[in-house]
Amino acid sequence: MSSLFIKNPEKIRRWNIAGNFILAGAGIAVASPFLWVLFASFKSGSQLNNPTLIAFTPNLENWKIVLNSGIFQSALRSAAVGIITVSIAIIVGSMGAYSISRYKTGGSATRFGILAAQVLPPAVLVFPLLDLAYRLRVNGTLTSVIAAHLSLVLPVVTWFLIGFFDAAPKEVEEQALVDGLSRFQAFRKVVLPQVGPGIGASAIFGFVVSWNDLFYALILAPGNAATLPVRIAGFNTFRGVELGAMSAAILVSVIPVLIASFFIQRHLVRGISGGAVKF
Amino acid sequence: MSFRLRMMGPLIMIFLAAIGYPLLSSFALSLTNYKITQRNATKFVGLAQYKDVLQDRSYWSSLTVTLIFIITAVILELAIGLAIAMALQNQKRFRNFTRSFLLTPMFVTPIAVGLMFRFLLNDQLGVIPALLNKIGINYDFFGPSRAIYSIVAIDVWQWTPFMVLLLLAGLESLSKQPFEAARVDGASPFYTFRRVTLPMLAPILTVAVLIRSLDASKVFEYVYAITRGGPGTQTQTIQYFTYKTGIQFYRLGQASAMSYLLLLIVISIVVVLFHRIEKVRAME
Repeated sequence: MSSLFIKNPEKIRRWNIAGNFILAGAGIAVASPFLWVLFASFKSGSQLNNPTLIAFTPNLENWKIVLNSGIFQSALRSAAVGIITVSIAIIVGSMGAYSISRYKTGGSATRFGILAAQVLPPAVLVFPLLDLAYRLRVNGTLTSVIAAHLSLVLPVVTWFLIGFFDAAPKEVEEQALVDGLSRFQAFRKVVLPQVGPGIGASAIFGFVVSWNDLFYALILAPGNAATLPVRIAGFNTFRGVELGAMSAAILVSVIPVLIASFFIQRHLVRGISGGAVKF
Repeated sequence: MSFRLRMMGPLIMIFLAAIGYPLLSSFALSLTNYKITQRNATKFVGLAQYKDVLQDRSYWSSLTVTLIFIITAVILELAIGLAIAMALQNQKRFRNFTRSFLLTPMFVTPIAVGLMFRFLLNDQLGVIPALLNKIGINYDFFGPSRAIYSIVAIDVWQWTPFMVLLLLAGLESLSKQPFEAARVDGASPFYTFRRVTLPMLAPILTVAVLIRSLDASKVFEYVYAITRGGPGTQTQTIQYFTYKTGIQFYRLGQASAMSYLLLLIVISIVVVLFHRIEKVRAME
């Protein structure tokens, strides 16, 4: 019926075709670098000297080098840092976010503080943390990296959670209070399950932020406690032989986040439009 | 103590420890000539570091480099991001898959992205210069006066998806009525875009641009992975310059002063951003 009112369906059709072209172009732009690095990771040193070579016998030499380079230990360290950081951030952040969302604790000053903390130049925080780490003799360990990552992850996670609590209905929780639960019980048993998907998405997002950080980890723990990004940065050489290994190392760091990202993207779009970053 | 304060307690404590302490301590450091190699010779020098930094031409040139980087990168990301977000919104089939797929670059470790493009764009071993060569174009992506734009291109590849995410969320939250009205009146898609979509999206566009600009001011990994500030100091962004001062030359006092000056600029932008957000919140 409604198409009767459109005077120019032809224009709209052309508009849609243009849209599909844009999406196809964007898809190629996103996919080709990954594909290229995937190819390179199976090439030998001399094959790498011929960048446009596509038909070649793949070999696993590069992958063997990378998998024996301690990259798994680094990946485990990154995972440990990420999990500890995110666990603290989610527990502390969800309690605080609930208080801010329901009781407007601290008014707009709190919200401003949490927003401002997200955009602090990392260089402002890192030198005192480095200095403190030296004094406490925890320099070069993961403790200092976790502290630094908390400063990075906690504000983002809290900001997201405030939005999710804002969007959650209040009726069930009020009913729980009437039924005799204490306020904290109501929070833990009734409110938290309601925003479960939001907490999951925030946690994965916070984990990715921590997993990807190079700046803090490079300064605070460059040596034996190298996290994955620091280790990857170590493959930064430009002799042909090692390019293949570098490609394999890049893929090792990329694959886990790609998997994680597929799980949260739906929630991110919903979370942002549902109030997480309410404009 | 009331319930709401008890719930806030842990958050406030960690904020103070992980952000408040370093923030104050960094200010204290910036008032000294602290060098990590000569810790016992540390003296209070008042605002002398700030004076030195403000008179340092490298500081201003790295601020300029960062500004050029931010402006070109964010304009490109906004234009491309808006086109993709609108195309995604109109898409009929495979919606979820396309969205997930196109958003992937923003989740990838930035250092890996930097190394990936260093490889792809390398003038001897990279595939892109090799392909350009075949059609007779000889372009050195990291040569003088070009390197900064190659870094911009990398940022666009990685962060346009974030722009898409924000704009798509914005587009989907807009009320449908004005679009219906425009359709019934037979407005052309371009007219609808200019007179309905853009004005309604304006607050979100402002916030998205501010968020991306503040994020882009932190650019470090691509410079660290690819150019290390070169050729000369043409890609020496503020974050990389501060890193060099503090870590390579151990001048933590000076590096702290540099980052504090940057903080002043950033915070004034955030005040504008926050004002905007609160205003829109009040309107609802």
